[in-house]
Amino acid sequence: LVRSMGVSVAGTSSLTREDIASARTALKTKLMERNVAEEIAEKVCESVAAGLEGRRLGSFTRVSTVVREAVEAALTRILTPKRSIDVLRGVREAKARRRGDRARGRPYTIVFVGVNGVGKSTNLAKVAYWLRQNGASVMIAACDTFRSGAVEQLKTHCARLGVPLFERGYEKDPAKVAAEAAKAAARAGTDVLLVDTAGRMQDNEPLMRALSNLISLNAPDLVLFVGEALVGNDAVDQLTKFNRRLADLSPGPNPHLIDGIVLTKFDTIDDKVGAALSMVYTSGAPIVFVGCGQTYVDLKRLHVKSIVAALLK
Amino acid sequence: MVLAELGQRVTQALASLSAAPVIDEAVLDACLKEIAAALLQADVNVRLVASLRNNVKKRVNVSELGRGLSKQRIIEKAVFDELCSMIEGGQAAQQEFKKGRTNIVMFVGLQGAGKTTTCTKYAHYYKRKGFKPAMVCADTFRAGAFDQLKQNATKAQIPFYGSYTETDPAVIAQQGVERFKQEKRDLIIVDTSGRHKQEESLFEEMRQVAAAVQPDHVIFVMDGSIGQAAFDQAKAFHDSVDVGQVIITKLDGHAKGGGALSAVAATQSPITFIGTGEHMHEFEHFEAKKFVGRLLGKGDWGGFIDK
Ligand SMILES: Nc1nc2c(ncn2[C@@H]2O[C@H](COP(=O)(O)OP(=O)(O)OP(=O)(O)O)[C@@H](O)[C@H]2O)c(=O)[nH]1
Ligand SMILES: Nc1nc2c(ncn2[C@@H]2O[C@H](COP(=O)(O)OP(=O)(O)OP(=O)(O)O)[C@@H](O)[C@H]2O)c(=O)[nH]1
Ligand SMILES: [Mg+2]
Ligand SMILES: [Mg+2]
Repeated sequence: LVRSMGVSVAGTSSLTREDIASARTALKTKLMERNVAEEIAEKVCESVAAGLEGRRLGSFTRVSTVVREAVEAALTRILTPKRSIDVLRGVREAKARRRGDRARGRPYTIVFVGVNGVGKSTNLAKVAYWLRQNGASVMIAACDTFRSGAVEQLKTHCARLGVPLFERGYEKDPAKVAAEAAKAAARAGTDVLLVDTAGRMQDNEPLMRALSNLISLNAPDLVLFVGEALVGNDAVDQLTKFNRRLADLSPGPNPHLIDGIVLTKFDTIDDKVGAALSMVYTSGAPIVFVGCGQTYVDLKRLHVKSIVAALLK
Repeated sequence: MVLAELGQRVTQALASLSAAPVIDEAVLDACLKEIAAALLQADVNVRLVASLRNNVKKRVNVSELGRGLSKQRIIEKAVFDELCSMIEGGQAAQQEFKKGRTNIVMFVGLQGAGKTTTCTKYAHYYKRKGFKPAMVCADTFRAGAFDQLKQNATKAQIPFYGSYTETDPAVIAQQGVERFKQEKRDLIIVDTSGRHKQEESLFEEMRQVAAAVQPDHVIFVMDGSIGQAAFDQAKAFHDSVDVGQVIITKLDGHAKGGGALSAVAATQSPITFIGTGEHMHEFEHFEAKKFVGRLLGKGDWGGFIDK
């Protein structure tokens, strides 16, 4: 990308408009090939180009180097979380609160949301495994009461993980199931309650309203949006609309929006890592976990440097 | 339908041709740029878009063309043809099933694409056409997979086969197909686990299932919101089990479904159905020609061809 331009103009004192224009086109194509949404690729290019305009070059600096550094800095800035989420600390704090006040024995509660088939239930199970590894006790609430097999899916995971499942079968109101689960978890003195929800399309208003209701009624500590690394341009729309609908359709005055992202199926995309950029740019929420396989140990942290490297390779 | 939004932009771009006083290189470029942007925003593979652009330009040699209307029509037709070949795939598979003989189809695809849900929709569709479908769950990996298929099949009143204990999907697949052959079911649908090209053992397993059931058709199910990974994944599936048709799911969402076109290109197979919801009846037969006609607002494609 960077090699394609620049070498011939090395040595001139400042970047010309044409230098920037050609670098910009090449960068946009590269980002889109790497599965960054078109809109986001355009915005990133715009800000990189604006930052480069009129930049003076040292006498031995190549244009390619300057462009590369500017792009890397921009991508790193976008991907580096402005707010960070420390789940384990949250769990510890909730535990300490519970000790102080036995009456308010709420577990630390995480709700997993997202569109259909992205990996909510599987990655919820991975998070359960991870929490157990870190000494926390876990209960899972089966609040996908719609999709066939959803309850049995969690039952299987719970049996393998040795984690209790709270379920009320199908066709029940998920918000109520979650509330009952929270009570059961409190009674059992459980540290963390993980709430699985049904997949839904961001434009499906009745289902988005139901989700908003579940969150409002149960006041979770964390709302995690699960998005798959395979998704293309729709990543932008999914996050924008989940947030907007959670805000607009919430019955209460202080809607709880998306706190963080679980990026799944990261093992299926080779170097086409662009969805990570689209999701973080769109929502400003950090990627808390990266799902990179179908077993319980396939849960990682985001490594910003290697994402940036893959985007530009 | 959602893909139609894409059509609107393509039509608009083409309409800009008639607004221009002369159609020169610059006008054509601007038009193609707009079309390319629309395709890219719909997740069509970046390379496919580039090749569409080049092919149209090659066919439409602006300087040699006649004037005005005929020039515009030639450009329109070139764009239209390119889009058609993108959406239609190579050979339009004549997959007419015969009642009374055994037709076996096998569903494959990436994790969570919608295979299991679509199996029932597909069975239900053919049941209403008078077939006697049956479903086999050859997914021994995903937690709750057999329960999912079982519950769907029960709702749709379609016979099913599966096992909670057998761990080899090829064995179950073979047993299920045998059983339903004996029972004279004429459409046997085999559901398989989700998999991806990066894990070769999963592809090997898929080949074993295919060898065990000898499907007449392998159907590749793809999520309508997939981005640039679509082409490579679809191609890998095709190279491994000879995909014959493509079904695109989740088109009730906001995604424009362009990744599907990549799958068509990679497998050289047509899109035969689309999924438009989680319920059994939210499933439509897909005809590429009609679709492209509608896509470009021409209504009737016949009027467009070879004039
Ligand atoms: N390769 C890979 N597959 C994954 C990953 N995470 C989940 N999957 C698979 O994706 C498929 C769907 O996962 P689920 O957890 O059922 O997805 P979901 O979002 O709960 O689906 P619905 O509840 O139906 O909306 C399963 O086959 C999982 O094994 C991952 O990180 N990598
Ligand atoms: N909105 C919508 N959801 C769909 C459609 N087709 C399938 N789904 C949903 O997508 C999710 C995944 O579907 P499955 O049928 O389990 O996918 P799969 O390919 O069998 O998944 P694995 O077996 O884990 O690979 C479920 O929540 C389905 O209800 C569709 O056309 N529209
Ligand atoms: Mg689920
Ligand atoms: Mg399945």
